Amino acid sequence: MGSPEVADTVVRRWLVLALESIAAHEDELGRLDAAAGDGDHGATMVRGLRAANGAVETATGSAGDLLMTAGAAFADAAGGASGALVGALLATTGRTLGAGPYDTAALVKALQAGLSMVMRLGKAQPGDKTLIDALAPFITALAVQPADAPLADAWRAALPSAVAGADATRDLVARRGRAAKLGERGLGHPDAGAVSLTYLLQAMDAALDKT
Amino acid sequence: MTRLYNAPTDFREELIEGFVAAYGRLVKRVPDASGVMTVAAPQPRKVAVVVGGGSGHYPAFCGYVGPGLATAAVMGNVFAAPSAEQVYRVTKAVTSDAGVLYCYGNYSGDVLNFDMAELRCQDEGIDVRTVRVTDDVASAPRGQEDERRGIAGDFFVFKIAGAAAARGDSLDEVERLARKANDCTRSFGVAFGGCTLPGQAAPLFTVEPGRMELGLGVHGEPGVQSSHMRPAREVADLLLDALLADAPPAAGASVAVLLNGLGSTKYEELFVLYKDVNRRLLAEGFQPYAPIVNEMVTSLDMAGCSLTFCWLDAELIALLDAPCASAAYTNI
Repeated sequence: MGSPEVADTVVRRWLVLALESIAAHEDELGRLDAAAGDGDHGATMVRGLRAANGAVETATGSAGDLLMTAGAAFADAAGGASGALVGALLATTGRTLGAGPYDTAALVKALQAGLSMVMRLGKAQPGDKTLIDALAPFITALAVQPADAPLADAWRAALPSAVAGADATRDLVARRGRAAKLGERGLGHPDAGAVSLTYLLQAMDAALDKT
Repeated sequence: MTRLYNAPTDFREELIEGFVAAYGRLVKRVPDASGVMTVAAPQPRKVAVVVGGGSGHYPAFCGYVGPGLATAAVMGNVFAAPSAEQVYRVTKAVTSDAGVLYCYGNYSGDVLNFDMAELRCQDEGIDVRTVRVTDDVASAPRGQEDERRGIAGDFFVFKIAGAAAARGDSLDEVERLARKANDCTRSFGVAFGGCTLPGQAAPLFTVEPGRMELGLGVHGEPGVQSSHMRPAREVADLLLDALLADAPPAAGASVAVLLNGLGSTKYEELFVLYKDVNRRLLAEGFQPYAPIVNEMVTSLDMAGCSLTFCWLDAELIALLDAPCASAAYTNI
């Protein structure tokens, strides 16, 4: 993201693109969620991202501050477990990023802090069929990118790990959340939260691409 | 099918406004929050019982707010837990020197958001306790009762907690009694058809003609097992067998009974079913106490029903009998 001004632009653009992408996939996310849950994941994510976009319109401060504002607004508007967890992911990532720098190493550290918060709040581990199964491999892949690579390149190179992680959740049995009550009946469908997280990460790829 | 709405995104806000407009004699809006509270709240020296969860389950949760029952309800969007921010705001509006009890069904979204609000309130010196309702025997085996989700058993736990708070019991005591009520309560349900969220064209899930889903969730989660459709008397046996096999330790003969409709199963059908529930209960030597055949925790327009037993002793009977008034349940 480079300079603070660019980072500010990237965060705002990311929120717009994330909303566009999730809205375009709202029905798909709903269907995935309905396989083992209540089918509202797409609607929940759209609601949260609309509020996050609205909140940063009037907000000032660093890119980290904007993410914290977006996270709080997301959590409140989205509600549910997804709202609390994705909201906490954004807010914790933003708090750790702070006023920069905004390079790959800082993003890895900030996303790791966000991941830890999600695992603590959700009492979930990798393999539990949650968004963690897309986020954790993404962070691992991002961390091994060449130190001198531009963030946009590193981000793009790490993306396939998130997609593969989300896709692999179709073979997992949910151990957290409402889906966990269904046991093996959720097999065969990827986790809606892991899939929506890859859309968020892909939207950041697009936001970085335009800088 | 949910037919009456304007913008689907405004569904929660508009239903709260309409509910308060209709039942302003019992409840008022919590300012700047998605929730309602009794007209008398906050009341000094009285524990506040705060219930809540997603919308789409009426009369859970706002329909149980009133004197002698819940002090306030935090209302999420349809089938989505309310955010921690909303739980916090409602708590702040009703809190008194006697403390607050959170009481809600055990779902991860509700647990996350109520827990985050509880921590925030405790940081501010408000004494908040939590009792989660875990009555659904289909959702986890014996020995893992804490993992079970909360369904129609909400009603008995809310009623007993609300009655204890209304008579001026301490927070310790209200918490103990709510926990005891939950420990004595078991539910099991069947679904015959799915439900459709506002703005959606298709139901969340469907049940094949001639079949039924056992152990449904109130959010339209498919059941844990599928079975062929049976006559009412066999459905009664199936529900009863599931509950009796899971009776709490030291269960006596006196049992409060709730036969709960899920949204689009007719009351007349429920009475046909209750005839056989009652017959079996008496044959097994139980004494049904103040049975309720009604819609108490629904799932939009889902077809189906659940049976709840709350095994009673003198302490719980006194609280169940205590007077209360709310939009959905009044006892005088």
